[in-house]
Amino acid sequence: MMGLLRRAQSVVALLGILILAAIVSPTASDGARIFLEAGNLTDILRQISLIGIISLAMTFVILTGGIDLSVGSILALSTTLVAMGLTRAWQGASYSSHILWAILAAVAASTLAGALNGVVIASLRIQPFVVTLASMIGVRGLAKWLSRNENIDIGFGRDVAARFAEIFREKAIVIGSYVGAAALFWVLLSRTVFGRHVRAIGDNEKAAEYTGLPILATRIWVYSLSGLLSGFAGVLYAAENHQGNPNAGVAYELDAIAAVVIGGTRLSGGKGSISGTIVGTLIMGVLTNMLRLNNVDSNVEMMIKAVIIVLAVAVQRAE
Amino acid sequence: MESDRNSQPDLLQADGIRKHFGGVAALRAVHFALRTGEVHALIGENGAGKSTLAKILAGAVRPDSGTIAIDGHPAAIGTPLDAQRLGIGIIYQELDLFPSLTIGENMAIGNLGLREGSLVRSARLAAFCRPYLEQAGLHCSLQEPLGTLPIGKRQLLAVARALSMNARILLMDEPTSSLSGDAVERLFSLIRALRDRGVAIVYVSHKIDEIFRVCDRATVLRDGETIGTVEIAGTTSAEIIRLMVGRDLRMTVRPDRRTMGDVVLSVEGLTTHKLKSISFELRRGEVLGVAGLVGAGRSELGAALFGLDPIRSGVLRRAGVPIAPRSPGEAMRHGIGLTPEDRRDEGLMMSMSVLENGTLTVLPSMQRWGFLRGSREKSALAKVTDRIALHCPSTDAAVETLSGGNQQKVLLARWLLLDPEVLFLDDPTRGIDVGAKQDIYRAIDDLAATGKGVILVSSELPELLRCCDRILVLRDGQVAAVYDAAEATQEKIMAAATSAFGDRA
Repeated sequence: MMGLLRRAQSVVALLGILILAAIVSPTASDGARIFLEAGNLTDILRQISLIGIISLAMTFVILTGGIDLSVGSILALSTTLVAMGLTRAWQGASYSSHILWAILAAVAASTLAGALNGVVIASLRIQPFVVTLASMIGVRGLAKWLSRNENIDIGFGRDVAARFAEIFREKAIVIGSYVGAAALFWVLLSRTVFGRHVRAIGDNEKAAEYTGLPILATRIWVYSLSGLLSGFAGVLYAAENHQGNPNAGVAYELDAIAAVVIGGTRLSGGKGSISGTIVGTLIMGVLTNMLRLNNVDSNVEMMIKAVIIVLAVAVQRAE
Repeated sequence: MESDRNSQPDLLQADGIRKHFGGVAALRAVHFALRTGEVHALIGENGAGKSTLAKILAGAVRPDSGTIAIDGHPAAIGTPLDAQRLGIGIIYQELDLFPSLTIGENMAIGNLGLREGSLVRSARLAAFCRPYLEQAGLHCSLQEPLGTLPIGKRQLLAVARALSMNARILLMDEPTSSLSGDAVERLFSLIRALRDRGVAIVYVSHKIDEIFRVCDRATVLRDGETIGTVEIAGTTSAEIIRLMVGRDLRMTVRPDRRTMGDVVLSVEGLTTHKLKSISFELRRGEVLGVAGLVGAGRSELGAALFGLDPIRSGVLRRAGVPIAPRSPGEAMRHGIGLTPEDRRDEGLMMSMSVLENGTLTVLPSMQRWGFLRGSREKSALAKVTDRIALHCPSTDAAVETLSGGNQQKVLLARWLLLDPEVLFLDDPTRGIDVGAKQDIYRAIDDLAATGKGVILVSSELPELLRCCDRILVLRDGQVAAVYDAAEATQEKIMAAATSAFGDRA
């Protein structure tokens, strides 16, 4: 009941921002409010999808009491790898298997990077902040080294890479990926043993130990999932931007953490939900869209976001 | 009992001190008077309120009501700094020092006696510290990090620090709990020297032999009340034990003697960092009590059986088969369960629901096709909640919203669901109300009746006498005595636990 109230509260906040955005929205020549146009609303969804996908796994990480600062760097690694895979000639392979293998390789490498985070954090018992800070630096370096510091352009010809970009920059695919991942992670958290363990460990690690829960394995899985989703977001990024970009995703970790926190997940772990994170992501997305439609200076936009983050957490504290 | 033949006025007088923590009364109307130049013991069982009273006098805890007077003048001790200004120093059981700072820095920090401004210069600091370190019998460099000192010397440093704050009243909370033999001797001679110089010392302890060695008077607390103050010279340890434990037995009757089965767990020469060569056998249908003071190794026995503490030597057998659990998970697979002493820190996920906490040990059996079935969880939990009369508004309520007794029942439910053959209950009734205690006793009776082996740790002797078939008394990590329930008395157990009467059974 309390949880329902709290969730309802952030939904109310989201509705408030939606109404505000509709009211202050500029109008098109025919008098329609631009904010409410279907094209604009789906644009918002498309724009939040990457951060949205990353913040799903970030919710799991934070629920265990951890943090993952390396998501942006892993995304960059993934964009680089998928672009390298697609621009490499592969005689005799069909377009679909070439695309599939390029994506699989990029996502697998990203998952591995996440798993490495998890192994170091869980077995060496080093703070997640330190470990993922290190891999944020190291993985970024790896992406730049692999790409020799250059963007790898794709999708400007009639080749396999163009076909890839054409498919994966489609609004429906991008938004569908987010919705699908969100549904999957919602089920994972609320309906599986793994999800229960994630929250139990974050709520009270000592008690989890006294209950014989698989703390080590759960932590490794959580960071692996974070790597996997960051890698997948990287694939979408490469298609969207027609390039593998080793400098992509800078500060994405902060946006993802902000979405999780606005969604009511406790930074110390144990308490939070996927639905909250989705609402948090939407609040940030609608806010950005509203400010940009009204030509608000992007620096002012940052200042407003800062206030929103603190306000959101303060309101939840008051409960 | 109170003797007023001494005309010396009281240095410190506390009257009608009351303190509640949540719904639990820690102190109810406590009176305490301290004279100049005496060592005054504050003695009582675990949970009697000794430490709470000491913390109130030191300004670390605020009383709900009551008055404190120093030299006959009312004193308001709201913070530790107030206490320092009034000349009250405290040395906590867990020393409140900073291991990574140097010895000099530890002396200086928060010290009103050192008027230095905001810059600490090492020469001035050395001059300031030297006399107090010498008084405490410490010879060490001020530049060393505190962490390099052995624990006994840290204790002496804590005394030196208190002296440098011009303490006229020195409170010591269980100062010997982590000291070795010769460190204890050094501390005692320091205490005597300070007393001779006119410092009044409050010595909080439950070790009766120490009280007789170093104290002049003793005030006995029991269940948060002052039972009396006695002159050590005019009393005996038997008298003090009687004052400490002398409460009425108001307990439900334990069921008839159970029939016991095979040995379900045997322990031979079990030794860990804290335990020394512990041996016992536990049979099906038996409730084995474990008594002993805090620090005697009661919880460490559970930690060893449950795979939390590494076993240095000795053999555990489960139903005759040797086992060596290295983690709680392994112990659970061998059919051993444990409810920890500190249900908040080690037991429950406070922000998760009753249901989620209850089914945590049996989650894998609650799924179908990889998904948890809420209905299956609910019906499983319902079976055990009826047995222990767990009351909660809904099983979806967060555990933190429940009373202490019901929280403990949630923890118990978790283990009843797993249904291990051996269950180690570490002080399961600590701080819970009388009704819930009776429910837990009944659950223990039921477990034994269904052929489980139960090990029950408790600080409350009447509880052990009510529930157990045999009682193992631990002292300093060793078995001090084993009593059959029929022959055990509170006095015998207390004597064995404190060694006041040696091992006489």
